[in-house]
Amino acid sequence: MNGLGHVDDYPEIPVSLAPTSALLKTGAWRSVRPVVAKRTAPCTAGCPAAIDIPAYFDEIRRGELESALDRFLRRNPFPRITGRVCPHFCEQGCSLAVAADEEPVSIRSIERWLGDETADRPHVVEAEPTSKRIAIVGGGPAGMAASFYLRRSGHEVTLFERRDHAGGVMRYGIPEYRLPQEIVDHEVDRLAEMGVEIRTGVSLGDDFSLEDLEADYAAVFVATGAGKQRRSDIKGESLLEPGLPFLEAAKRGEGTALGDRCAVIGAGNTAMDVARTLRRLGAHVTVIYRRTKDEMTAIEEEYERALADRVKFEWLMSPREVKKARNELRLILDHMRLGEPDESGRPHPEPTGVSSELRFDSIFAAVGEIAEIGTFPERMRDDQGWVDVGADGSTRDPKVFAGGDLATGPATVVQAIAAGRAAAQAIDDQLGFSHLWPEEEPVDTVKPAEVNPTYMPHHDRADDHEVEVVTQFAEETATLSDAEAAEETDRCLSCGYCNNCGTCFVFCPDAAIIWEDGPRIDHEFCKGCGICVVECPGHAMVLVNEREVSNV
Amino acid sequence: MRWVVPEAEHMSEGTLGCQGCGGALSMRLVLKEVGRDAVGVIPACCWSIIDGPWPTHALDIPVLHTAFETAAVVATGVKAAKTIQGKDTTVIAWAGDGGTFDIGLQALSGAAERNEDILFVCYDNEAYMNTGIQRSSSTPTGTWTTTTPDQRPEARPKKDIMGIIAAHRIPYAATATAAYPEDLERKVKTAVETKGGMRFLHLLSVCPPGWKMEAHQAIEVMRRAVRSKVFPLYEVRNGREYTITHWPDELPVEEYFSMQGRFKTLLSDPEMLEVVRGNVEERWQILLGRHQRSHPEMAPTN
Repeated sequence: MNGLGHVDDYPEIPVSLAPTSALLKTGAWRSVRPVVAKRTAPCTAGCPAAIDIPAYFDEIRRGELESALDRFLRRNPFPRITGRVCPHFCEQGCSLAVAADEEPVSIRSIERWLGDETADRPHVVEAEPTSKRIAIVGGGPAGMAASFYLRRSGHEVTLFERRDHAGGVMRYGIPEYRLPQEIVDHEVDRLAEMGVEIRTGVSLGDDFSLEDLEADYAAVFVATGAGKQRRSDIKGESLLEPGLPFLEAAKRGEGTALGDRCAVIGAGNTAMDVARTLRRLGAHVTVIYRRTKDEMTAIEEEYERALADRVKFEWLMSPREVKKARNELRLILDHMRLGEPDESGRPHPEPTGVSSELRFDSIFAAVGEIAEIGTFPERMRDDQGWVDVGADGSTRDPKVFAGGDLATGPATVVQAIAAGRAAAQAIDDQLGFSHLWPEEEPVDTVKPAEVNPTYMPHHDRADDHEVEVVTQFAEETATLSDAEAAEETDRCLSCGYCNNCGTCFVFCPDAAIIWEDGPRIDHEFCKGCGICVVECPGHAMVLVNEREVSNV
Repeated sequence: MRWVVPEAEHMSEGTLGCQGCGGALSMRLVLKEVGRDAVGVIPACCWSIIDGPWPTHALDIPVLHTAFETAAVVATGVKAAKTIQGKDTTVIAWAGDGGTFDIGLQALSGAAERNEDILFVCYDNEAYMNTGIQRSSSTPTGTWTTTTPDQRPEARPKKDIMGIIAAHRIPYAATATAAYPEDLERKVKTAVETKGGMRFLHLLSVCPPGWKMEAHQAIEVMRRAVRSKVFPLYEVRNGREYTITHWPDELPVEEYFSMQGRFKTLLSDPEMLEVVRGNVEERWQILLGRHQRSHPEMAPTN
């Protein structure tokens, strides 16, 4: 209208120059606030040693293998061993399997890979010398783990082992094809190199008594295992070959199958080991079990491998009697059916009244082992005659601790390691040196319904490879390659542990998550929509009601 | 960070978007890729409010707030001025579904027909949310809004805006959603780099209050829209060459609808649900056919 021509002729228009953040504190809209929270992953919760799996996986992902190993060693000194033989309780709870119907992350294979990658690293004593002397009796996984943790804490540790070498069931019980002796040797050597004194060929009871040790040492940890064959109620039991001594002989290269047709009674891990070792010695093998496949206590994959080795299984057969007849053994079997659950929670087998007979050249018993506790004085026994052992390994004698299979009956290597560690911590505590054991706040476990598997890469789970076996007892699997381990680690949702994936940052509609190599939630502006919490793959964030955290 | 999404932030905190606002998130993600050398033109829409009251402003780029029908033509003018200044600034018209499908359609069509060198982004929340959830021509069949209440929910199908745009044969058009941020960033990058002509992005943008749902489910609902083929992700070059960029996985449409209160009536009406299901499948088949004709060498990946 006015003939606007030059820019100076235009009227002023309102221009906003301040950012909205200068004026609008939208955090005031919020009734709940997201908080990054460290929580327990279901894998960690399932692990007897409570290894912080998402945390060390994150360190692996970032290429910080030293830190990953350090973190691992806080809970378990032997990743090369458990990485091979652990029944991986961790994988049973994996959120991927439970929430996304995917194969669980191959946690044990990554553990094995980490252990092998860092095998050259010596163990170090982290604390100042305490000049406290501690005796460990029994060189199996519990005793070795306790030695590691006590030596690391600066104590002078002597490990007494009744055989020629330390290693216990890992050396003498687990077959070579599952756990090569050189791996166990290597771990024993690393203990010796860090200053654990290992005395072999001496045994509690024969060479010294508990009282002798108590007089010479500040504390004693006894972990002599469960090596005594459990008695069965099979008539003619003396005709049966016990399983563990057979495995030990085989490990020494002295195993013989004692004929072509062999039976193994029992369906635990010892039974699988015996059956598969016999197959390698050329025998035909039948496993006989009074319940069914679903109740067997062996690790599923050992059963699968036994099947692949062409071991035969006879389910619902309970041996009643063994008879020697000419050159063979006759095994009388009662046919069973499953009844009501018994105290173990598994259906109890009941006789059907039918029986049959099978003929073998030799029959091996792998029906379980019990602890030899004759060396413990009466004052340390409970009403049942067992050694009274607390969760931390404490006994009725304040200077004596015990743990492992001795206390629990035959269990797994990882459970023995956890027991050794718990006892080491209790001993260290009792001696007044608790500083090396950082207290971990108890936190709640991430539930399957909370995780968000949308963003994980969908590729197949990487397992240890089967190798072409050149000799009959060579290790049957190979460790993952670096690339496979990296890919597999990427599948982990990192439950309850922020691994800086950036999902919360990407999806925040309010730019209220500031990225500083990791998320920082700006509560001055966060409106509390909750998107970050539900999109977080591992639910390492929680929503907290403002009334619980606000000062107003 | 494991996402291929730029870390740089060009949207301020303290915007006036509601909790879980898909429009705010869309803007934030788009600007991450566009960067600071840009001018925004925003007609009447939620973003007129989200951007903050005078004297505040939420973005690192200058924005002109304009009348409802004029986003495309104002952007055209700004681009012309920038060209005269010898600058290569990206000019973005940023409109809701009202300013795109309905009130802004004439200016949009004109700019598209002239192949103006601008980027037009429609953040589509499928109704006039800012004024109180009135239906638009983007509102899908069976939807509750305040003007299509439960007694007579939206009867007509959602307008095929991508078809209209493609008919103008502009160099680049694409659908995207913040639930697939890497796909979105890649398309923004392509759009910015396709200079010299009109580019169009159609972004499905959740509105938790208008869709009657919890804010924390905002990402999941957009993801389900894609997975159930309700909102397929694809791009169109020169109006003819179609490429599906994310293959849906046969999620039943109910899994998308049932997250939202605005589809309560639809879900209780099997007959109408069948019609909607048929529409979704029919549109998908048309899109699939176009994709296959554009890529005869590629077999569909599912």
